[in-house]
Amino acid sequence: MAAIEVHQFAQCITCHAWNSDHSMVAFCPNNNEVHIYKLFQDKWEKLHVLKKHDQIISGIDWSASSNKIVTVSHDRNSYVWNQEGSEWVPTLVILRLNRAALCAQWSPKENKFAVGSGAKTVCICYYEQENNWWVSKLIRKKHDSSVTSVAWHPNNILLATTSTDGKCRVFSTFIKGVDTRESKTGTTSDSKFGEQIVQLDLSFSWAFGVKWSPSGNTLAYVGHNSMIYFVDDVGPSPLAQNVAFRDLPLRDVLFVSEKMVIGVGFDCNPMVFAADETGIWRFIKFLGERKTPSSGSKYGSQFSGAFGKFYGQSKYGVSNDGVETSRTSGGVHENCINCIVPIREGSTSRTTRFSTSGLDGKVVIWDVQNQDGLLDYL
Amino acid sequence: MANTLRLYLTCIRNTLDAAMCLQNFPCQEVERHNKPEVELKTSPELLLNPVLICRNEAEKCLIEASINSLRISLKVKQADELENILTKKFLRFLSMRAEAFQVLRRKPVQGYDISFLITNYHCEDMQKHKLIDFIVQFMEDIDKEISELKMSMNTRGRLVATEFLKQFM
Repeated sequence: MAAIEVHQFAQCITCHAWNSDHSMVAFCPNNNEVHIYKLFQDKWEKLHVLKKHDQIISGIDWSASSNKIVTVSHDRNSYVWNQEGSEWVPTLVILRLNRAALCAQWSPKENKFAVGSGAKTVCICYYEQENNWWVSKLIRKKHDSSVTSVAWHPNNILLATTSTDGKCRVFSTFIKGVDTRESKTGTTSDSKFGEQIVQLDLSFSWAFGVKWSPSGNTLAYVGHNSMIYFVDDVGPSPLAQNVAFRDLPLRDVLFVSEKMVIGVGFDCNPMVFAADETGIWRFIKFLGERKTPSSGSKYGSQFSGAFGKFYGQSKYGVSNDGVETSRTSGGVHENCINCIVPIREGSTSRTTRFSTSGLDGKVVIWDVQNQDGLLDYL
Repeated sequence: MANTLRLYLTCIRNTLDAAMCLQNFPCQEVERHNKPEVELKTSPELLLNPVLICRNEAEKCLIEASINSLRISLKVKQADELENILTKKFLRFLSMRAEAFQVLRRKPVQGYDISFLITNYHCEDMQKHKLIDFIVQFMEDIDKEISELKMSMNTRGRLVATEFLKQFM
């Protein structure tokens, strides 16, 4: 079984994040609070409740090395929480937003973070020593709708965004005084802040869940039309691949390795996508086991239909008269999964474990290490 | 059950399964608000193409989806005037008690008899397949209910007429 741990933390979880050694988890139980749980021996105990926001929290990210938590909320605000002793102290971020903030992510160097918002803007926030607050620079007038997801390139400069206008865009976020020139690479060396590097118009519907591969060579994002898009050579001439699948749309993706992507979404079961030697991406399988639906309601011929009716009534005492009831997912998650977070062990760039959380209030930890047929792609 | 009804309901069930992919999404127009986009229709990019499923001219189902809400409008079969009145009265009775049903809309969409509004909050509280089952069960039962009402109405009419005419014997 690929799911190694299942924790029912709340009724409903909007997003979650781990600390650097995965002994603590922060999540939002679908309200204006952040709960932090810590693992004591083999029991998770509630350690802190962070209350500062006054609407639902839409994004949490926990920086690994600086141990700061950034939270963003529909109340248009964002806080950076810093642990001082046993207390978490919030610092207000000057987002200058007039709509809800939807997602947040720390940059790889953790000197900046990006916030996507319903105001059709992206805020790049950085710390200002003299005032002791986080200020933001805005990327305005580039998106035609809400920004649903942001992802940092490993070089700490490029930022990919997806929006409900169906497009995925890549921006340069070079900020003078925060970033240094040498951290820039090749083609993007002369771009200034907020410059759009590329705009990908692949999806006909809303786009969600953008992520870069560990090396930063490949970009993946999903569309609400049950498609996942892979883009190589992000730059002036990008190379795109569309993969359609037959199940319900995805909400978020995660690169496990350069050649393997996990997608989670409305189907309540993580999907594995992988690239073969020629670089062609395709759907491999569902990660969670699915219970086969009971054979009570699906019959081909009339005879077996009648038989099934008789059988169903006699055995289960239920009538099969109605149309077949909707299938239950039967997997580990019982409702839409909306968050997937990698669990990195030590300093290796390889991720074999990750956690997912969803509207059913569970945090599930998965391991793809011992899965048949997936080892080649790791 | 009639075979065509089964196909009709299966079609609706599958459409609902695909359309009920809702998420929490704050309003883009008004700050600090969160409204069903399918009702507001302020941002066209947040709406999906509506789906109309018809069994025949008298019976149809309109499914309108958006990023955070879903509206299902039903037109129930009305063969004659009596059925028309019964349907109207019965569905009005339900609509007036909409808060007890949670997903029921107080007023039907123009041209339909009854409407449901499902938001992302319903999907968070309730299981999706149970919600779909409820809608389909409702559609199945409403026809039965109306024909039963019609039958008891006719029986009662006959009884009353018999009693009334007895005095002339």
